[in-house]
Amino acid sequence: MGEERVKARALENRPGWIASINPWVLKIKNNPERVAFVLHRVTGVLMALIIMAHIFVTGTPARVGWEAWVEEISKAHGITAVTLYFFFFAGIAWFHGLNGIRLILTEFFGVCIGKPEKPKPPYLAPSLKACQRRLLYLVFALWAVLWVLTGYIVFG
Amino acid sequence: MTFDPKAATKEPPKKVVFRVKRYNPETGKTWWDEYEVETYRGMTVLDALLKIKEELDHTLVLRYSCRMGVCGSCGMIINGMPRLACQTQVAEVASEARPVVTVEPLKNHPVVRDLLTDFTAFFDKHRSVKPYTIRKNKEELETGDMEFLMTPEEHSELYEYTLCIACGLCYSACPVAASDERFLGPQALTYVWRYVADPRDEAWQERLEAVDTEEGPFSCHFAASCSAVCPKMVDPAAAIQRLRSALIKYRMGLYKKKKIARKAEPPKEFKERKPLPPEAKLVEGADLEALEKEPPEIPVDSLLS
Repeated sequence: MGEERVKARALENRPGWIASINPWVLKIKNNPERVAFVLHRVTGVLMALIIMAHIFVTGTPARVGWEAWVEEISKAHGITAVTLYFFFFAGIAWFHGLNGIRLILTEFFGVCIGKPEKPKPPYLAPSLKACQRRLLYLVFALWAVLWVLTGYIVFG
Repeated sequence: MTFDPKAATKEPPKKVVFRVKRYNPETGKTWWDEYEVETYRGMTVLDALLKIKEELDHTLVLRYSCRMGVCGSCGMIINGMPRLACQTQVAEVASEARPVVTVEPLKNHPVVRDLLTDFTAFFDKHRSVKPYTIRKNKEELETGDMEFLMTPEEHSELYEYTLCIACGLCYSACPVAASDERFLGPQALTYVWRYVADPRDEAWQERLEAVDTEEGPFSCHFAASCSAVCPKMVDPAAAIQRLRSALIKYRMGLYKKKKIARKAEPPKEFKERKPLPPEAKLVEGADLEALEKEPPEIPVDSLLS
């Protein structure tokens, strides 16, 4: 036994947290739910960060005085850092809230996921053609419309 | 996973380049190899990989068995999507515009070598959910001559979940399993729901309580990739949502199994067999009873000469 045998080892093959931010780590067809899953996670983390910042911002009148606060806020017209902040916050909150309603229906009440059926061509799983899919498209559509409307109110 | 029924009738490009991800466990190196394969109509990716192994590179390692989508051994990532190599036509994944097919080992499973993955942890999770019928009276299962009554409606509630072949594609596609190795995964959780929904099983409370953990259905976030890649249309995503919903109701005291199947009684009387009507006979005008009494002689010698 001259040479020491190299120990064989299995390769850990998990994408890890990348799978939570990249829906295309696998190229799965007919799976917009995965895009919604990633968006829901990303918007959830961003909302947690924004809410922490919001707590800091709403404490401002206590530090600088109410008049100074109102004066500063009244300047927020057009495209400024404050209006952009509110615009992006609204976009994040709209998606997380709308998709959250869909997830409450499917995950907690177990509705909108179709009925079990016997396999038949084109072999598409019932949950992928059930009303949760139409709800998901509705979430994307409403998200776009409400975000545009929010932009009109914030920047208008 | 949707299948194109006409895929096998399509002509694939005459020559297709297979980009295969390789791994050597002794050196710890990972690399890509390219092989040009001459194809034919009806060739599957598994056929192509076996042709590579036979003619181009004997060192390529992969696992396969039945070649007909039954055993679930040849799961791999083909062009970025988890698929069974034996069920994937080359014509489906390669085109004249892009005659290239990439093949990788399944994700979320440790790679032993090249395309061969280790399913030990996957099957440990499968075993941990007790994937078999449990009755309070064990004799009912041990004697083997019992039959439990079940309506067609009850059967249709769980039939699609019984089709699982444990190929591991759903586990490979799951983004939660990708970041949390303790997660039971779509396959094991589908089995839990399959037995909770099965009227023949009596351990539904124990099953629900066993999966009411962080590794259970509450870790699922309905990315539905498991259902999108399942080659048997098992729909694990829906099974997990049903299981979670039942678990919430159970913890609130609102869930109770609808019915436990009772044992079928032996028939009290046997009816006499009715003779077949003339239209049910195999050959028009043939008298089966007369043929049974006097079987016709088959002229074997004259047929062979």
